Amino acid sequence: MEFVAQQTMNALSFGAEYALLALGLAIVFSIMGLVNFAHGEIIAVGGYTMVAMAALSLNNPFIVIGAAILVASIGSVTLERVAFRPVRYADPTTGLLTAFGVSIVLQNLFLLLVSPRPIAVTSLYFLEWPISFAGLRISSLQLFETLTTIIVIVVMMLFLKKTVLGLAMRAAAMDFEMVRLTGIRANRVFAAAFLISGLLAGIACVFIMARRGSVDPHLGFDPVLMAFVACVVGGFGSLPGAVIGGFLLGAIEVTMLVLLPQSLGGMTDAFVFGSIALLLIWRPDGILTPPREKGDKQ
Amino acid sequence: MSLSRSQKRGLVGASLLAFVLIMVGTIATYFGSKYQLRIVYGSYVSLMVVLALQVFMGNARITNLSHSAFMGIGAYAAAICVTPIAMKKISLPNAPWGLNAFALDPVTSGIIAIVITAVIALLVGLFIVRLSGIGATIVSLAVLVIVHSLFLYRTDIFKGNQAFFGIPQVFTLTSAIIIAVIMVYIVRGFKESRWGIALRASADDEISAAAMGVNVHRLRLLAWVLSGVLLGVAGIAYSYYLGTISARPFYFNHVFLTLAMLILGGMRTVTGAVLGTFLISFGLEWVRWLETGPTVLGLKFPEVLGLSGVVLGSVIVLIMALRPGGIMGDREIEDFILKK
Amino acid sequence: MLVIQNLKVFHGPIEAVHGISFTVKEGSCVSLLGPNGAGKTSTISAITGVAKSTGSIKFADEDISVLPVETRIRKGIAVSPEGRRVFANLSVRENLRLGGAYNPNDIDSLIAEWFETFPILGERQHQLAGTLSGGEQQMLAIARALMSEPRILLLDEPSLGLAPKIVTQIFTMIEQLKEKRMTILLVEQNATLALRLSDHAYLLNNGHIVADGTAETLGSNDTLMAELTGLA
Repeated sequence: MEFVAQQTMNALSFGAEYALLALGLAIVFSIMGLVNFAHGEIIAVGGYTMVAMAALSLNNPFIVIGAAILVASIGSVTLERVAFRPVRYADPTTGLLTAFGVSIVLQNLFLLLVSPRPIAVTSLYFLEWPISFAGLRISSLQLFETLTTIIVIVVMMLFLKKTVLGLAMRAAAMDFEMVRLTGIRANRVFAAAFLISGLLAGIACVFIMARRGSVDPHLGFDPVLMAFVACVVGGFGSLPGAVIGGFLLGAIEVTMLVLLPQSLGGMTDAFVFGSIALLLIWRPDGILTPPREKGDKQ
Repeated sequence: MSLSRSQKRGLVGASLLAFVLIMVGTIATYFGSKYQLRIVYGSYVSLMVVLALQVFMGNARITNLSHSAFMGIGAYAAAICVTPIAMKKISLPNAPWGLNAFALDPVTSGIIAIVITAVIALLVGLFIVRLSGIGATIVSLAVLVIVHSLFLYRTDIFKGNQAFFGIPQVFTLTSAIIIAVIMVYIVRGFKESRWGIALRASADDEISAAAMGVNVHRLRLLAWVLSGVLLGVAGIAYSYYLGTISARPFYFNHVFLTLAMLILGGMRTVTGAVLGTFLISFGLEWVRWLETGPTVLGLKFPEVLGLSGVVLGSVIVLIMALRPGGIMGDREIEDFILKK
Repeated sequence: MLVIQNLKVFHGPIEAVHGISFTVKEGSCVSLLGPNGAGKTSTISAITGVAKSTGSIKFADEDISVLPVETRIRKGIAVSPEGRRVFANLSVRENLRLGGAYNPNDIDSLIAEWFETFPILGERQHQLAGTLSGGEQQMLAIARALMSEPRILLLDEPSLGLAPKIVTQIFTMIEQLKEKRMTILLVEQNATLALRLSDHAYLLNNGHIVADGTAETLGSNDTLMAELTGLA
């Protein structure tokens, strides 16, 4: 019984992180059809900011966390302005390839301008300590991450429901041109989407750094891959889908870790992706969308 | 058999490209240093991959991200079949199913590798062709990751990130040139065939094409499997020259590199594939030389590791923003010398 | 209020409208009539800035031809586009809120007013716009356009795909707007209804203006009427 509860906690915290990452991708995709592969590099930017804070001897955790989130958000908006604006109205494939290119450029810029080697980030270690209650042993970080993700999701829901900008973003996912025809500026909607995406990346970065303790140029690759898969599972572009996909992915991963015998231990990735592939065969457009016959009325 | 006008032009175009490939290859063979020979060989293998990419992406207009995986399948399949038993016993001591107990000649191994790659391509293709544009791309990405994880973790078969060595090096640059030339004809031939034309038409408007009786899924599958076969051949060419392979080259960096080559040249044309491959292969070598901080005319340049990545990524971003059709756009090489 | 001169509209490389000129005086209702493919919607798209065009577009004596879409809209142009294009995933109320996004006045009281005029919208205010009937969506599209309290209203094919009874309702609504001295540019295939409302009408065919005049002059011209209804 404790084992199940323990693993459930694991699944929740894995899932929470994936959900957070997936939301960052989904919000940009839902509005402009862009698969932002550079999302991972925004996380890395947050990590490098933390390094910079340490170098400036600013070790106050609030400053470190705040700076990382701030720089990630601003970086994300800047990226949109500089790199993605020319391909704003292009087809999804063009955008995807541009994002790929931006990702590679950024990774190599980190390599070039900072260092190819991992740099330690120790200022967040304090966030992690073991907690035991009701016979469960979990890490405080897991608790924080799960709670933070839930709060983030609630805040986002409120934003999207209550504010005009949030409404505009939801409408833009359906018919961007019409949003412009009501006089709402396209630039503002896009900037907002990327700002939120960057914010989410920054928050995820805090947890990733607290766990890993170091940053390197290729840090962003694994998270963005998982975020990508989570989005696909939930239905690319759907925000609730991203959340569900994230938690589902966490659950699958924990299940595989638990079920696979020792000998196949290294194969977790392959099995996880294999399950995802099977899922996609069943529901190609993601879990939430039943397969649609082409030509059906929308 | 009478050829249509565009098919005749295609023949001319393919022959022109073949001429270029033979010239470049011949110059390299007779005048190049061993090091330069390796680079040129590498570019011809890249060309094979890019041509395979073009035959699918250029006609079906769907971005495929799994191509490096299929190249790897071909490479490993051939390598496992062809490596002498003595070598295999050392490098794959734990191989299951008696894989380290036999060795075949290069031709048979090559054929087996092609068949295996084709079958896997067929199985994967059956699912991918039913998906819409971005959906297919996404699943292809999943395929890439799955195959890569298999390579990495079945170390008893594949040796993972460690070098699988001892493959007899039976290919020379001449072999690569011949294969590349044949591929150019095949890929151009497909483009101008009725399947290629029908596929491109349905890429633009799937529902109308289906209404006209075009079986879109079957056409896509045809292009996909053809692409897979060519990728398998590229993998064989890779193995048979280098003599050593590992899992690392068949993953994201390679995907991105070859995608960049196709995009730069222009994914709609075979000429674009050739142009982009050579531009980036040779251009990248030059940038890599710059990276090492060489001394030119007495000036010492600083070491700039990572420059090649920045350049490559920037090329992609700029092309996408300024000229998404690539350098060639819709033009093939024969358009320059033949009247329209 | 709206002065169009030598307008050419392009869809990619194709020229859909070949240099037309017309005026919409303040407080008047002007119709653009003509069969399918005449270039009516292209003209609207050019005015809003969605479609590429050359020529002069002056709104309230200001040249807006180089301004981006949102800036033109904010100058007081509102559009109920072809196909209505309500935001299907938002509720009726949310659609209206978006319509009045940059209107500094009190949106809620404006919405309440509209619900009085059109109780059906009020009844369905929390319903997803995508689930409304065609007629209700058209009402919503017009109401949404009016939330910004614009100076001119562009109406593109409001009767399209609607049952005659509903069309009458919609046109009664438009008539009421006219009485409130709203400037209206109406694009319609239903020439009879449009002419009834309009102070002036222009007949488009194949991207050219082939006739113009008041409702009386056009309505009594039989050959013209035949052409208008696309039978020519």
